[in-house]
Amino acid sequence: MVLSLLVLLLIFPFVVTRFYIYLLALIFVSGLAATSLNLVLGYGGIYQFHHAVFYGVGAYGAALTIAKLGYSPWIGFLVGPLLAALLSLVMGAICVRLSKLYFGMLQISLGSLVWAIVYRWYSFTGGDDGIHGVSMPDLISSTKGSYYFTLLVTGACLIAMYFIVKSPFGSTLQGIRDNPVRSEAVGINVKLHQLVALVIAGFFAGVAGVLFVVVDNSVFPDMLFWTLSLEILIMCLLGGWLTFLGPMLGAAVMVGLRTFASTFTEYWTLIQGVILMLVIIFLPEGVLGYVNTKIRQLGNVASGGKA
Amino acid sequence: MKKEMIVGMAVVLFEFLVASFSFGADTIRMGIIDTYTGPATAYTFDVLDGFKMAINKVNAKGGVLGKKIEFLTRDEKFKPDVGLAMAKELVLKENVDVLMGTINSATALAVSDFAKKEKIPFFVTFSKSDKITGEQGHRYVFQITENTLMAGRAAAFELSKKPFVKYWIAGDDYEYGHAIADSVWTQLKKLKPRVQSLGQSWWKVGETDFTPYITAVLAAKPDFVIVATGGSGMVNFQKAAKATGLSQKVPFYQHTAIELSTLEPQGLDAPEGVYGTANYLFYYPDTPENNAFVEEFRKTYNRYPKIGALYGYVTGVLIEKSFAKAGKVDKEKFIDAMQGMLIDSPVGKLELRACDHQLMLPMFFGVTKKVLQFPFLIASDIVTIPAKDYMPTCEEVKALRK
Amino acid sequence: MEFLSSICPPEILCQILVGLSRTTILFIVASGLTLILGVLRIPNIAHGSLYMIGAFIAFSISKWFGGGTTGFWMAVVLAPLAVAFISLAVERAIFAHLYEREHLMLLLLTFSVALVLGDLVKMVWGGAYRTVQLPGSFKGPIPIASLPIPIYNIFLVIIGPVVALGLWLLSNKTKMGKISRAAAVDREMVGAVGVNVSWVFAIVFVIGCFLSGMGGALVSPIVNITLGMDHTLIIEAFLIVIIGGLGNVWGALLGALIFGLTQSLGILIWPQFGIVFPYAAVVTVLIFRPTGLLKSTW
Repeated sequence: MVLSLLVLLLIFPFVVTRFYIYLLALIFVSGLAATSLNLVLGYGGIYQFHHAVFYGVGAYGAALTIAKLGYSPWIGFLVGPLLAALLSLVMGAICVRLSKLYFGMLQISLGSLVWAIVYRWYSFTGGDDGIHGVSMPDLISSTKGSYYFTLLVTGACLIAMYFIVKSPFGSTLQGIRDNPVRSEAVGINVKLHQLVALVIAGFFAGVAGVLFVVVDNSVFPDMLFWTLSLEILIMCLLGGWLTFLGPMLGAAVMVGLRTFASTFTEYWTLIQGVILMLVIIFLPEGVLGYVNTKIRQLGNVASGGKA
Repeated sequence: MKKEMIVGMAVVLFEFLVASFSFGADTIRMGIIDTYTGPATAYTFDVLDGFKMAINKVNAKGGVLGKKIEFLTRDEKFKPDVGLAMAKELVLKENVDVLMGTINSATALAVSDFAKKEKIPFFVTFSKSDKITGEQGHRYVFQITENTLMAGRAAAFELSKKPFVKYWIAGDDYEYGHAIADSVWTQLKKLKPRVQSLGQSWWKVGETDFTPYITAVLAAKPDFVIVATGGSGMVNFQKAAKATGLSQKVPFYQHTAIELSTLEPQGLDAPEGVYGTANYLFYYPDTPENNAFVEEFRKTYNRYPKIGALYGYVTGVLIEKSFAKAGKVDKEKFIDAMQGMLIDSPVGKLELRACDHQLMLPMFFGVTKKVLQFPFLIASDIVTIPAKDYMPTCEEVKALRK
Repeated sequence: MEFLSSICPPEILCQILVGLSRTTILFIVASGLTLILGVLRIPNIAHGSLYMIGAFIAFSISKWFGGGTTGFWMAVVLAPLAVAFISLAVERAIFAHLYEREHLMLLLLTFSVALVLGDLVKMVWGGAYRTVQLPGSFKGPIPIASLPIPIYNIFLVIIGPVVALGLWLLSNKTKMGKISRAAAVDREMVGAVGVNVSWVFAIVFVIGCFLSGMGGALVSPIVNITLGMDHTLIIEAFLIVIIGGLGNVWGALLGALIFGLTQSLGILIWPQFGIVFPYAAVVTVLIFRPTGLLKSTW
């Protein structure tokens, strides 16, 4: 099944108009960002409320390296995610001692601080104008080229994240999500695990940000604003935050919805809100009820078993 | 989980299969991206209405080159990434011939870059960044509105004639604010070297409480204040100026202070004696062309035209005349036809300058004043500054673009 | 940094007064938010939208009564009531059935409501700027230490503590107040004692939203009433609630004070990055007191 999907994605650009190629590339970018969020949200149970900061920093890192400092794009592609990972390390170290809502709120404050700095420092970051016309290597600058590059990188990242989730580290992380007290008692360094997960998530979010620059050749300070973080969160939720590919699906729905609803009406935010409401009220009864049940079940299991 | 996957995939598939809005076969297609949500709508609806008025007239005559002009609008909600995506959708999916928009400078710059790649003409109808026709200008972008460099120079032109020497500079802390202030100050210093700057104050965009800033300004005792606000900052500042009595004590200038969009919402409570520049005043000049335009706009939309209406209307006229001159719906010929094109407008004959694709609009400089006939303030002591006196020269633009 | 040379006490006093008037609006809105958060455990992102609706309704009411003194006072009194009514409808229709959900879900649900309300406001009022006229006696400045302070700002500074006092009386001296405080701590217990918890929640929710509408109505004469007011305010309100302590009204006051004052004083110190000071203050507080400065009800 995966193979046929892959083939479909590869021949996609040859059967549809350029716009849909661009759209699908955008979906991959958002989906990658959402999946990286899910690494810590769904699998780690951490209330990552301002994930967009890492996405935005990755994008700005690449754009500034290429446009302002004049380095080759390939170097920019490396700088972005590394910068995002570094920021994630710093912010994570500050926030990780808190849990749940408090973690989320502290992260929002820190993230807003970063946003404010990027937004105001117009001499370097272009301020509210953003940066445009970031040059890309010829191989990937066309619509088809950027699509294949995005497909390739997204695919590689997804595979990497999948292996991380399935690894012992990933299982430990989920164990921490389900029962942090017990994990601590068994001798696991909860905070360290969470911090590592945050850095990994930040790194991949940074990659997504870089891919955005590849597809759209621009960055805007909005990419670091909290509303985008909420949107990415919603993508995870819509698609199903306990599944691996859920966030990617959520991204497809959100991006598609935004694009097509806007062709019919100027009130597409309204439609977005209504659909979101319906999903939260009716669908997650399944997802979240499932989560709650599972947690209760795990709590009732007599002996330790796998952590 | 499986249930959601299926539902989700069905939704996605449905979206891809939904028939897109299709244009009639034999039409000229325009794609308009702008912000139709939030404070910016005070300006953008006028642009659209002015544009509609122009092309309705064209279509009533049977269109241009036998084809009617059709348009699609997209609301970017002041988000540049959304605006860019919508521009791409309009061009790559809806196959528009010409792009138009937007009030958000970041979007305008991003779309301009895209228009250059795709070789689609793009008319900027409200964004005021001077980079659009300046250092990032190119063959496919056209600016209908004035930019910050131009506005600043026009203001400096008049201010240099006044007796003020000690200045304070203040404004919204973003690209637009700093650009306007820099432009006014640089030109003013050139024209009148003995002006002094006593200090500067910058507040966040959307600031509502200016009292602390105003008191600091008053304490410094300048002769005059250059206030570089934009959008909602215009009204907010004027309200604060009235509330703190600033407008009675120290005169100040804002670009668009005398415009209807700034003065109408305040009614008779707006401060008097505020200096401003604007590209359009519906009551001036009192010419048959302007009066006819205002009359028609009022009949159609039941309100006085604001600055946006002029921009939108002129864009429509320009597009019609250029296609007519080009002889066919060919983008390159269309652009060639537009170089140096002269059109009639409510403010007189306008030329689209060939070297940078900037429309040469006259600028009006005046002072706010209460009058009996209107429930809002208008400009008085109006001076008209012709475009050639305040626009950068072609040589200057060429130097910027290197 | 040009300001450091021109600081003298009257200016600082002026900044403080202005900061305080800003505090009032922030406090009124944040108190409503913290009430809802504390008792109902709902992080109400739609709170900002209700604030915006309050401002727009104040505009319409003021216009209806012909502006001026009557218009202003009618707006300030009636707009919060209208918002309270709307919030009651929303609460009964949507939230009442979902109290058992996870916080994250409720947060996202209120976010979707905020999206819907935002577009509804656009549908009803359109996009132009609106303002509300001040009554004659409120217009203009009072000179304080030779610097002009708008009278309306003074009015706001006085209103703030009045509202705070009113809320304190409501929650400590009335039966309803005591019940809701109990319900915040242990809703099941309160239910077991025979109180209709659902109605308690409804009342608290409505009061919280009433406060938000009041904030919007009070701020309407001094700002541009526009779409998008909701976004800027909601994040500030949330941060205030968090540093004050969830569910703690006095905490909201403290938080609003910190936020308002750091912003107006920060402007004196570093105008370009003045916006950063409140966020930095929040970060500092949360690092040392992660659960907030005052006791939270969670």
